[in-house]
Amino acid sequence: MKTHVWLRAYLAGIFVPTLVLPLLLTLFIVVRLVLRVPVPIEQALIFPMAVVPTLFGLWNMLYLGTHERTHLPIGLHGALLPLLLAPIGATVAHCLGVLQFGSDGVTWFRACDVPYVLIAPCFVAALAAYYLVWKYVVGFLNKELGIGL
Amino acid sequence: MKTNEDDRIQHLLKQALPPVDAATGPERDLWPALLRRLDSQPAPHAGWVWFDGALLAGLVAFAALFPASIPVFLFYL
Repeated sequence: MKTHVWLRAYLAGIFVPTLVLPLLLTLFIVVRLVLRVPVPIEQALIFPMAVVPTLFGLWNMLYLGTHERTHLPIGLHGALLPLLLAPIGATVAHCLGVLQFGSDGVTWFRACDVPYVLIAPCFVAALAAYYLVWKYVVGFLNKELGIGL
Repeated sequence: MKTNEDDRIQHLLKQALPPVDAATGPERDLWPALLRRLDSQPAPHAGWVWFDGALLAGLVAFAALFPASIPVFLFYL
């Protein structure tokens, strides 16, 4: 299996966001239709549906292309992705009205209040989550798909 | 002409390389010793498993303490 190696890297990369998206959609539908919380579901889904899977796939292709030179472990490579995703996501969310900045903190989805003091711990937790996801899920898929890293 | 040259090279090579003795080999079976050595060594990344487990536990604890962060995490996955 030596053909289409870039395609396989892309597919291995988009696996996790593609699995998470229906969960996110279900959560938003339950919150909006069952709990009657006015979550802007249409705007909130644009970023995780259009940007995140693509960036995951491209990030895995970048790993495939640079691993021979950098020798960076895949977990650390994945942990670098929030440095790119976090500002892009915050900008998109703010432009779409999903994220509002207040005096004490930010409000996500017009429902979740996150104080400013929690943003740094949230970011560290995101780095840890991405490290684990990339090391154990994307790394496993890369091996299974015969990318040979 | 070319055949003579090949024969000469073949002869020189045979002179330069010592003959392989069919009886040459280890005096005892080395495989059990290799297996013992592999068993005695820890896995190369065993320490990282503990680190990763601690990270996962920390993430779960963080999500339990601050459940508002869960949809934000899902937004970025």
